[in-house]
Parts: sequence; structure tokens; C-alpha cells
Amino acid sequence: MRRIFASIIILSVFSAASFAQETDLGSAIRKSKNKFNPEVSVIGWLQAETGRRNPASVASEEPVFHFKEAELSLQSNVDAYGRAEFFIGFDGEEGVELEEGYFDFTSLPYNLGLKAGKFRNNFGKFNRTHVPETSFADRPLVHEQFFGDEGLSAPGVSLSWQIPNPWLFAEITTEVVNNPDADEVPAFGKARKRELLYVNRLSGYHDITEALNITLGGSYANGAAGQELIAVPVSSRTLKSELAGFDLTLRWKDPRKANYRSALWQTEALWSKRDAENESHIGSWGMFSHLQYQFARRWKTGFRYDYTQLPTDGTMHEAGGLAYLTFMPSEFSLISLQGRRARRFDQKKETLGWLKVTFNIGPHGSHPF
Amino acid sequence: MKSLLLGSSLLIASSPVFAGLRIVTTTEDLAALAREVGGKHVKVESIAKGYQDPHFVDAKPSYLLKLKRADLFIQVGLELESSWAPNLLRSARNKKIRPGARGFLDASSGCDVLDKNADADRSQGDVHPEGNPHYWLDPANGRIIAKNIAGRLSELDPDHTQDYKANLAAFEVSLKEKIAGWDKLAQAFKGSKVVTYHNSWPNFAKRFHLNVIDFVEPKPGIPASPSHIKALLERIRREKITLIFMEPYFDEKLPKKIASDTGANLLILPPSVGAAKGIKTYSDLFDHNLNLLSDALGKKQ
Repeated sequence: MRRIFASIIILSVFSAASFAQETDLGSAIRKSKNKFNPEVSVIGWLQAETGRRNPASVASEEPVFHFKEAELSLQSNVDAYGRAEFFIGFDGEEGVELEEGYFDFTSLPYNLGLKAGKFRNNFGKFNRTHVPETSFADRPLVHEQFFGDEGLSAPGVSLSWQIPNPWLFAEITTEVVNNPDADEVPAFGKARKRELLYVNRLSGYHDITEALNITLGGSYANGAAGQELIAVPVSSRTLKSELAGFDLTLRWKDPRKANYRSALWQTEALWSKRDAENESHIGSWGMFSHLQYQFARRWKTGFRYDYTQLPTDGTMHEAGGLAYLTFMPSEFSLISLQGRRARRFDQKKETLGWLKVTFNIGPHGSHPF
Repeated sequence: MKSLLLGSSLLIASSPVFAGLRIVTTTEDLAALAREVGGKHVKVESIAKGYQDPHFVDAKPSYLLKLKRADLFIQVGLELESSWAPNLLRSARNKKIRPGARGFLDASSGCDVLDKNADADRSQGDVHPEGNPHYWLDPANGRIIAKNIAGRLSELDPDHTQDYKANLAAFEVSLKEKIAGWDKLAQAFKGSKVVTYHNSWPNFAKRFHLNVIDFVEPKPGIPASPSHIKALLERIRREKITLIFMEPYFDEKLPKKIASDTGANLLILPPSVGAAKGIKTYSDLFDHNLNLLSDALGKKQ
């Protein structure tokens, strides 16, 4: 009996050990296979809106609660030469949209970088930030009027060069992308399928002190803005649109207490010149200036001033201001109360209030500084 | 474009030339150890300063200027720098230091890493599934890190292997003597119960026989709630805890209040080289902290 009992114990121990070995091996194989899976993250964005939108404004009236977006991101190295990043937006009302999806060639010589795919264009600094990750529940009026609800993004290629020098970080980028449709990006508008938009940017970054730094940038874009039909002789000509932009960002954060206090001042302005019918031109400009102060580990507040003329009519303008108070339970979620008062282009006032809630799962990496 | 490239190359050429290896580390502790073993053949810079919380560092473009020219990048690993280092490495456009390349070194390899938790998720706060990343706070791990660095330097610069070996040997001898002294100092407060702000000290506590019974944060990275503070105050009183210690980059307000309500002492204990005046080397860090602890705990217990 004892012998049988001992045999059972020995067998159990061996089988447990072999099971453990198998489990360890299985787990190791699974882990190694998972290593090739992309990093997957999702950002959820719920928004509640109060107030009455100006019927003539770009954005339409929204229900009180709107699940604005679930942004799925997939990021991974593709091979020894580059990395792919995909950002897919799921909107409860408008469906699914590929916000970005590009191959980033990371192994080029001479400090060069190349992206191919669909990406947010490098015009100014704000345009590159994904919509749920901005500090705002809305977009600055100038961006709304010139670049639409989603910002300037299109398929194409982007070549960048980090200018090697020991003093400051400087980068030149040039992008060639499909000219967007006017209903998506009002500053431009393609008349023919094969029209292209060219976007260029020069930016520099410098640490003024350990706590204070400055980023300066200049951008220039030119593309099509529709076409003019000429009656006699019957023909058409493509109308051109040019945009020049300037951006300044000052950041302050004492590294000794970096989790508790910080400040940011960001100002962007753009000037537009576009062809109009009968050889005439329309000139317009717009800007926003945003001041943000983090006054406690989980709290920040901010104010933004907006002014913009309409890209299609420089005599009409909009102006407004947005204020917000944001609570961040952790770096992966935030709750923000925001209010915006604006005088729209028809000079009617519009007052809106929002509750913005975002939450992030997965290892979604940090964005460009 | 060609003339621009040429112009830039000339600019770089006109800057002072250093013939040795350029090392960029994520923290000052790794930089101090790299200097010990690299000696005159290396130039070392750290991204995070010792007085900075290494979990939260802005990925500033100015760091790219350092990373572009680096021959070796050394990180603490275990996801300590996961919110900023990967982005910097990608943006630096320097193939030599990318993960997987010989110029990329994760210093945690072979170290005694505590608090591994494969089931960790974010409901537990800022936890690190692969283990607590503050492992450099055990000098025995410091020795392993130095050995890892010396090994990699020899691979990258085989001509000076003998120098790196000799530097490592000298460091090991000096560290061994130091450890004997620190162990002796720590005997005075062996087994003392303490409260720390963040769970940064498990390796330090294990090495020097401190008993960390609770934290000011209820979970790593999560600020204390009133109920947690109440329970902590009761526990400190009940277990007669005489010392709370914290890193210099956290806000002192709450720990000060807890200390004053319970009669415990509050000590600012630097977790890294460069976090306080006079801490310039890896050994200075332990000299400083053990003397502080010895003064705060040794004479009382």
C-alpha cells in the first residue's frame, strides 16, 4: 500500500514537473509570439455639450452626450528598416476612419527621416496632436475654419532632416500629399483627383534654462482651392491657395517638482492667400493663443483666445475665448469642464459648455514633445 | 541639399573632438557607474537628473542632440523610462543605440529584481510587471550593473578591454570595502519599521534590513485618500513608527503633516546620485543615506 502511495506521489511530482515545464515552455513560446504583435492602445472620448450652437457655424448641433471617438492605435516595428503606426478612429455616428497609418523609415542615413502613408501634416504644432489628446473639447476657431473638424491630414510622403549642429534641435520637413477636399479642409479643395498639396516646415527647439524651453516654427503650404470655369473660351483654371504659419511654444517645468507645477504658452498664427474668380485674390488670417497652468499634481487650468477670418472671405471674422479646468485622476484619464464664448462670422454670439472625459488603455506611447 | 549637408558636417567638425565612447544614460546612477568603469575612455551624460522623478521626464528635443552622437545608451529598464525613452530613441535617428543594437544596454540584466508581478495591471497604480525598477539601490546590484557596463564597453571598444577590466576590478574592491562599512552602520537600525512615500526602496530595505510597513501613497503613483491617511496615521501610532522617508521630488506637505500628527521624523532620502549636494558618485549615495538613517534611527532604537 505504502509502495503504491509512494508511486502515486512520485508520478504526481513528475507529471506536475513535466506539466510545469510544458506550461513554462508554452508560456515562453506564447510570449515570444506576442513579441511580434503590435502594441495596442485605445483612447475613449466621451463628451457632453450644453448651450446652443449657431446654426451657421461649421460644426452642427450635437446631442447632449456624444461618444466622440474611440481611437485605436497599433504600433510596431515592421522590419529592420522601419516602423508602422496606425490610428483608427471609431465614431459612433460617422463610422470608422483611418486617421493615420504610415510606415516610418527609421534607418536612413544623414539624419533623414521618411514617412509614407496617411498622416497628420506638419503644419504648425497643434495640427499634429490627435484630437482626443489636445487640452480642448473643441478645436481653435482658426483650425476649425481652415482645417475642419479633424485637422490637416492626407496620404502622401514626408521627408524630414534634423539639421546636425551642437547648439539647438532644428528640423526641416517637406511633405507631398493628396490635396484634400474643401468640405474636409476648407483652406484647400481639390478640383481634380491628382492634385497635390505641398507642406513645408522649419522648426527649432532650445532650452533657455533647465526649466524653460522654447519651440519656434514656420510652416508653408500650397495647393489647390477649387477651380474656376471660364465661359469663353470654354475652359477651367485651378485656383491656388497658399498658407504661411508661425508657431511659438514656451514651456516651463521645474524638474525638481515636475509632477506638481508646469506652464505652457502656445501661440499659432496663419496667413492665407488664395485665388478667387476673375484673377482676384482673397487674403485672410487667424490665430489662437493658449495659456495653461498646472497648479497641483492632478489639476490644470487654461485659457485660449481665438481670432480668425474665413479662408474664403477675409472680410468676415470670428473671435472667442475658451476656459477650462481639468482633473487628471492619473496620466491615463482626465475629466475636464470647459466653456467657450464666441462671436461667429455672422456676428451672432455662441456660448457652449462641455464636459470632456478621456481614458486610455494600453501602452500608447508618448507623442512628439 | 548637398551644400547644406556639407555645411552641417563642417559645423560638427569644428566642435571639440572626443575620441572615446560617448555614453548617454537615463539616470545619474547609471552615469556614475559608467564613469567608474569607463574612466578616461568615455564621456558620460545622463538625461534625467538625480533630483528628477525618473518615471516622468519630458522627451525634450534637446536630448536628441546627445543621443544622436551616442555610442552607448544605458537604461534602468523594467519600464521605468517607458513613457519617454522609447520615443527619444526612435526620434534620435541613431541606429547604433536602438533596442537590440550593441549600443543599447538594459542595465537590469542579472540584477536581483524584486516585486515581480506578472498579473499587474493599472488598477494597482503605476506598477511594473517585470519588477521594481529601483534595483540600483542595492549596492550588490550596483556591482552587477558596473559589470554589465564594463562588458559592453569591451565589446564596443575592444582595444581598451584591459582598462575596463582594471577599472571594474578597482571599483569592485572599493565597493566591497564600502559595503562592509554600510552593513556595519545598518546594524544600528536593523529591523526598524519605517514608512516611505513611494515604493522605491525594496532593494535598499532588503539590503539594509529595514522593514517598510506602509506607504504614503496607497498605490504607486496614486495620491493618498482621506481614508488611507486615517488608516496610515493609526498604523504609525499603533506600531510606534519613528521614521517616514521620501524622495526629494515628491511634495512634502502631506508627509510633513503625517509626521507632525504622529511624532515621527520625516527624512528626505535621495534615491539617486546628484539628488542632493555632495552626492557625486555611486558610493556617495549610500554614504549619504546610511548616515542620515543612522542618525535618525540608530540613536533612537
